[in-house]
Amino acid sequence: MAVYNRDEFLNKLAAKLGRPRRTEGVVRPVWRVNPQYEVFKGMDQEELVDIFANQCEAIHTDFVRTDVAHLKNVLVDVIKSYGGESIILPKDPRNEIYGLPDCFNELQQDTNIHVWDYTIGKENEKIAERANIGITFSDITLAETATVTLFHNKHHGRSISLMPKNYIAIIPKSTLVPRMTQAAAIIHEKIEKGELVASCVSFISGPSNSADIEMNLIVGVHGPVKATYILVDE
Amino acid sequence: MKVSLFITCISDIMFPNVGKNTVEILERLGCEVDFPTLQTCCGQPAYNSGYLEEAKGSMKQMIRAFKDAEYVVGPSGSCVGMIREYPHVFKGDSEWEKPAQELAAKTFELTQFIVDVLGVKDVGSTFKGKVTYHPSCHMTRILGVKDAPKILLQNVKGIEFVELPSGEDCCGFGGTFSVKKPEISAEMVKEKSRHVTETGAEYLVGGDMGCLMNIGGRMQREGKNVKVIHISEILNTHN
Amino acid sequence: MSLKLEDIPFEEGVQKGIENDFMRQAVSGAQGRFRAGRLKQAQELGNWEDWRKLGEEIRTHTVNHIDFYLHQLSEQVEKRGGHVYFAETAEEANSYIKQVIQTKNAKKIVKSKSMVTEEIGLNDALAETGTEVVESDLGEWILQLEGDHPSHIVTPALHKNKEQIRKTFAQKRGYTGSSEPEELAAFARKQLRSDFLQADVGITGCNFAIAESGTITLVTNEGNADMVWTVPDTLITVMGMERIVPTWEEMEVLVGLLTRSAVGQKLTSYITAYTGCREEDEIDGPNDYHLVIVDNGRSNALGTEFQAALHCIRCGSCINVCPVYRHIGGHAYNSVYPGPIGAVLTPVLDGYDDHKDLPYASSLCGACTEACPVRIPLHEMLVLHRQKIVENGDTPFAEKMMMKGVGMWGGSPFVYKMSTKLAHSALKPWTKDETIENGPGPLKAWTAVRNLAAPPKQSFRSWFENRKKDGEN
Repeated sequence: MAVYNRDEFLNKLAAKLGRPRRTEGVVRPVWRVNPQYEVFKGMDQEELVDIFANQCEAIHTDFVRTDVAHLKNVLVDVIKSYGGESIILPKDPRNEIYGLPDCFNELQQDTNIHVWDYTIGKENEKIAERANIGITFSDITLAETATVTLFHNKHHGRSISLMPKNYIAIIPKSTLVPRMTQAAAIIHEKIEKGELVASCVSFISGPSNSADIEMNLIVGVHGPVKATYILVDE
Repeated sequence: MKVSLFITCISDIMFPNVGKNTVEILERLGCEVDFPTLQTCCGQPAYNSGYLEEAKGSMKQMIRAFKDAEYVVGPSGSCVGMIREYPHVFKGDSEWEKPAQELAAKTFELTQFIVDVLGVKDVGSTFKGKVTYHPSCHMTRILGVKDAPKILLQNVKGIEFVELPSGEDCCGFGGTFSVKKPEISAEMVKEKSRHVTETGAEYLVGGDMGCLMNIGGRMQREGKNVKVIHISEILNTHN
Repeated sequence: MSLKLEDIPFEEGVQKGIENDFMRQAVSGAQGRFRAGRLKQAQELGNWEDWRKLGEEIRTHTVNHIDFYLHQLSEQVEKRGGHVYFAETAEEANSYIKQVIQTKNAKKIVKSKSMVTEEIGLNDALAETGTEVVESDLGEWILQLEGDHPSHIVTPALHKNKEQIRKTFAQKRGYTGSSEPEELAAFARKQLRSDFLQADVGITGCNFAIAESGTITLVTNEGNADMVWTVPDTLITVMGMERIVPTWEEMEVLVGLLTRSAVGQKLTSYITAYTGCREEDEIDGPNDYHLVIVDNGRSNALGTEFQAALHCIRCGSCINVCPVYRHIGGHAYNSVYPGPIGAVLTPVLDGYDDHKDLPYASSLCGACTEACPVRIPLHEMLVLHRQKIVENGDTPFAEKMMMKGVGMWGGSPFVYKMSTKLAHSALKPWTKDETIENGPGPLKAWTAVRNLAAPPKQSFRSWFENRKKDGEN
């Protein structure tokens, strides 16, 4: 690890700014206006669910609401609607808590289920690339933009929600917050406390898309072509 | 109320009727109107071309000319917008910054003055015809006057008002832009003429003679039968 | 390294643009949609002006302390296993990147969309190494296959129609399908998937670097940047030095301003925040990470009246409202950065010599300034550029003389008053029915496409004087 040319580069910038270079003591000011904290202020979880559900439509994502008891059936239906075949998911304690192994038992025998296993290395990526469906839990869910936030780690590669043709996010209701403001604040606080942020944090709002050809919206480019968000009442 | 008329060079020389209508409207609304004869041009042609020193000559002359005025009112959003920029131009100038601020603070565009200062929303005029309005760029975006002209127009008796599609788009005048980049300016005014034609209006009204001279000149060249007039003409018609 | 795309006079590029009917229709349609989308988002938030003020304040503070935040960023990236290279020039940046690629013996590089790599001419530099470089953003890929340049900073292939794209795919990649956008995109997905999987090195740009944690935020809809960051073991990020924010909280605010202003979306499909190398036992992401921070003329703006140009977050909303851009298209600006921000930024980065026309390619209508989500006074900066060009003595002689005249005229009530008396007779030879259809001198350009109302006999001031006298009699 190395840093090259830093001093001459930054010294020059400071000189252009007409002052000595600063390497410490700059404090981020309290901004004079803060409209970000006012959005959906004081709303309860039910109101946020409504906002979230409406936004799903705008981002071409199917929205399903269920509870823990019925999650199994709902998930089976969604997986079947995507054609089953092969599924990849992170190694996540929530898999068991929410009864996913049970659910997979309901699927056809020949459905391939792969739980991320870092001991087999790059093979995980290859499996993800071939998988028909990726399933993850949302860590923080943003109502305003219908966004799931994923903190990746050695049990949860970015490939899972990126490479398969279809993506399913399971969203515990308690993860709902108004907007990205709250997610950013949580991460910022952790950093302030000296914690390391995950090497990859993704904010995913629906399937991939592009408007690069004549401004026509095409849903499904390099990432998933279809997405379903399953909101689970706890 | 005492009002000093800021005629603007373009109306002084090219469109004197704009000044006559402005004087008559203000007098009808109870203002005492004088015309400081030492006024020249707001300096915008030189300023926008980057000739700062040349522009400052004009600006200083304007500051001198209106030194004793209570209110300065001009029939142009763009020229009044320029005067409002004077404090910025003379920032840090110990002699001129303060007088520039004083002039900027007491200078208003005609419709802005009528609605915001006099508090009048209906000038009592009558005008028969289908009218559309071009909200010129400097009036709306530099000076921030968006509603006043429309309020006054909509309260004119007999008027049929139609919105101009893509009205916020520049007509391509831009002062020296029109002769410095004529090919681009031409495409812009052609588009504006198309939009005006789409409305089916008999009259195109605006608050800036520069833009109107541009659009009107183009529509005349195209043989279009739309009359292009300054808003003061409608506000001073009583037939 | 010039930002100029082609060695042609400005007017020639303008003419080409004006004559390109498809491009003009495409741009006009796109502007309409972009504008409607942006306004809808602004309206939904309700207090858009407060958001813009916040955006401006964040950018102002950050750029004012850019040395501090870049220092912090580099410390954090290093802590997370990355290398940081500060490049003063395009050449320095390119040669560092080439060196990394040669050390890795790379055969294939995948890139996600990055304007700064266009600016420094990275692809041309990499061509010298013999490594295959694949642009993975759909629009950029189309342009790469054609050997064309972006004409817009957000939707680079805006000037292409689907039939042109179908032909290119057929000729270059043996595509046999239709010109339906969905089918074209599905083909691109398949083609590029294999490129992603084979690539040894990935190169990305950077929307916002977060100083507090050494994080790079990438904003995309297609998911290509995520593929670039996920698969190859070696990753290089190239960022313009000003693309930085203090913390995640400012990133969040600016990302929201960016996506709303750029494409009228509340957020794009993917906002991904990557920090350094992958952690132990992680599979995805690089194990060799390089951040290249580029100046390339940006520091020219620091401490000057152009500093706010560095506040730009590259949303393109100024381009999407600009009537000049609508008629001439992006290529006519003949710079990597088109539109109002291009006209402001290009001369700052690259000097006036090659870009003297850009500050004049604006009617100063102010639509750009009004649209800018971080309140950069773009049209005022164009005037400032004009002032610099005048100061440098680089305007045409005839213009200098004319402006001297204008200065004298406006500065002297006597000369001015004379002109009000003489205008009518001076233009009389060209006047017919109170109209001038074929004016002399500088009026020629005006009357080429429109009539000029001739000055009447009596000026306003003379009327007012007479009226006063009449009143007194």
